[in-house]
Amino acid sequence: MLEATNLTKHYNGVTALDSLTLTVEPGEVFCLLGANGAGKTTTINLFLNFIAPTSGTAAINGIDVVQQPLETKKYVAYIPETVMLYRNLTGLENLEYFAALAGRPDYTRDQLLGFFQEVGLAGDAADRRVGTYSKGMRQKVGIAIAIAKGARSLLLDEPTSGLDPKASNEFSDLLKRMSDSGVAVLMATHDLFRAKESGTRVGIMKHGTLVAVHGTDEFGHADLERLYLQYMHD
Amino acid sequence: MFLRILRHEWSTLRADATLWVVAGVFAVAIGYGVWNGVRWVEFQTRALAGAAAEEQERYDGLRQRVDDIVKTGGQVSPFADPRSPSNVGGRLGPRYAMLPPGPLAPLAIGQSDLLPYYFRISTDSRENILAATEIENPQRLLVGRFDLAFVVIFLYPLLILAVTYNMLSAEKEQGTLALVLSQPVALRTIVTGKITLRAMVLVGTVLVCSGVALALGGVDLASPGIGLRLLLWAGAVAVYGAFWFSLAALVASFGRGSATSATILASAWLVLVVMLPSLFNLAVTTIYPVPSRVEMVQAMREASDDASAEGSKLLASYYEDHPELATGDAEQAMTDFNMIRVAVNDDVERRVRPVVARYEQQIVAQQAAIDGLRFLSPAVLMQEALNDLAGTGTARHRHFVAQVDRFHAEWRGYFTPLIFQRAQVTSFDDVPRFAFEEEATGAIARRVGVSLAGLALPAALMGLFGVSRLRRYPVVG
Ligand SMILES: Nc1ncnc2c1ncn2[C@@H]1O[C@H](COP(=O)(O)OP(=O)(O)O)[C@@H](O)[C@H]1O
Ligand SMILES: [Mg+2]
Repeated sequence: MLEATNLTKHYNGVTALDSLTLTVEPGEVFCLLGANGAGKTTTINLFLNFIAPTSGTAAINGIDVVQQPLETKKYVAYIPETVMLYRNLTGLENLEYFAALAGRPDYTRDQLLGFFQEVGLAGDAADRRVGTYSKGMRQKVGIAIAIAKGARSLLLDEPTSGLDPKASNEFSDLLKRMSDSGVAVLMATHDLFRAKESGTRVGIMKHGTLVAVHGTDEFGHADLERLYLQYMHD
Repeated sequence: MFLRILRHEWSTLRADATLWVVAGVFAVAIGYGVWNGVRWVEFQTRALAGAAAEEQERYDGLRQRVDDIVKTGGQVSPFADPRSPSNVGGRLGPRYAMLPPGPLAPLAIGQSDLLPYYFRISTDSRENILAATEIENPQRLLVGRFDLAFVVIFLYPLLILAVTYNMLSAEKEQGTLALVLSQPVALRTIVTGKITLRAMVLVGTVLVCSGVALALGGVDLASPGIGLRLLLWAGAVAVYGAFWFSLAALVASFGRGSATSATILASAWLVLVVMLPSLFNLAVTTIYPVPSRVEMVQAMREASDDASAEGSKLLASYYEDHPELATGDAEQAMTDFNMIRVAVNDDVERRVRPVVARYEQQIVAQQAAIDGLRFLSPAVLMQEALNDLAGTGTARHRHFVAQVDRFHAEWRGYFTPLIFQRAQVTSFDDVPRFAFEEEATGAIARRVGVSLAGLALPAALMGLFGVSRLRRYPVVG
């Protein structure tokens, strides 16, 4: 579960995020929409304690991320716009290392290969250097790391930007599977179609403020786009 | 977890060409440095063996000639008589006072190629004896020789910086840092792991290579105190490394990019290792200038000429100072050439003493200034410590010269009474011999310990400050 309470971030007087209050329950996929600079990345970075909030709190599993950063990171996985891995190591070595950092140093090779299969990575890719991977493959490794970690919350920052439609579709399927298993997902995205497809709720951000929140079942694809553009105008 | 981080660091470092370039450069440099050190020690050993052989041969010759004279009962000129104490103590029978290469000399040439390591001891004046070998400014700090100490002091920090300057910034620039720090691991654990692995590789390399140097250099592992010296050597290498690793950690904690970090660290190296030592050197030689050699030689020549001109007058006053040497035959006592020479040498020494004293005072002042300033440059601290441990520093040399002075006094104490008694040297075995007494290891350990503390303290402060700053490390932006 992810919770933000009056979460605020200022950069030298500029408000990047203004009093965000938001709860993402297990099984939910909350999609943050908004123009560039709206404050989506700021929100995710606050949850990861990569930046310190000016005021307000972010909590994962009910634990404050500033007070207990290491504890909260046990329950969350992060997938950035491009999952950057150690280029000189193989995909499997990367997965094994990140799983170990996540507190799971005990996986066997077969188990790790199982995670690769689960996210749809071909068997031979596992032993190839990551330097040779496409972006789609890296994003899948990101999911594999999250699965291996057994994370109960997932933070994604435009994870499908730049993916071809097929890769993007596969990625969304994986996300769907994770949320079906009870993971709370917070995803920043520009992809309205994917947001409608795989999200349970969408939130529209503008200049650091969450201006609207809707369930994705409230309207169709076209309605969501119209709504979004409407908010962007005024 | 920590071990897993070490293993990971090893895999990534190993896959990076930098490590191998660094390791290659290092291995070659160490090999070359050790080879130079070993060669220099061999050269010294040969020179000392040559001197010893020359002395032995000369004494064999003297014994032979005495035997011949006794057998044939022939006449000899008093100037060539091998039984005359004046001849034996002066021209014919000088013995060498030799400083053997330091216990760990192959590791650091230090000052040993600037300072004379043997003197030919005779009844001649002290200054003539000391001046017979070149004594250039012994306070020269910059290493002139490419030895292991040079590699450790100059290259080792550069290599440490080469594998650490971007240890964090590279991960940030590659984007892996965010993924790592989204895991339940503290940045300081990661940084500690990175530094530990790199330290194991680099410190280990230096120590192993030092060991090989010892094996090749024929260091006597049975000599007293050698264990403590080796231990301190290893400690010095580790602490000096810690200083540079801490500096790298501190700079990494600023959160600057790789290029900026590299610039900061390279500048720090340049200032601490290259500029400060030469600046100190310039400062002490300017503030405490040493009288020139020309001046010394001139003073000695003048004193010598003046004293010789006053020959018998000097002998008269010499008797006043040494009434115990007076003999019954007054007339002969005032004209004996050999006795006059004793008095003249004594007087030359007295006349030259102020110039020599000024020279030595300045050297001592320079050394004292360096001893204080060394705490401002880790390179100077390290150089002094390694020289001390190797037995090639100024302290051991001063220790040697003090023993030479005592031996010179002993030498004169042996020959002067014989000269005044107009006696003969009966047994060459009784002529005093010099045996160098090694510096007490405890004294060295204390001096080196202070230097190491001077390195460890800033290392600890920088390390702690850097690690505490990591809490606010800008993971993004
Ligand atoms: N390190 C920073 N320093 C100053 N301003 C920043 C910094 N990071 C982000 N901002 C500002 O905060 C605002 C929100 O940025 P961000 O959260 O990255 O937007 P989004 O991810 O929605 O595109 C923007 O105006 C951006 O310029
Ligand atoms: Mg963004």
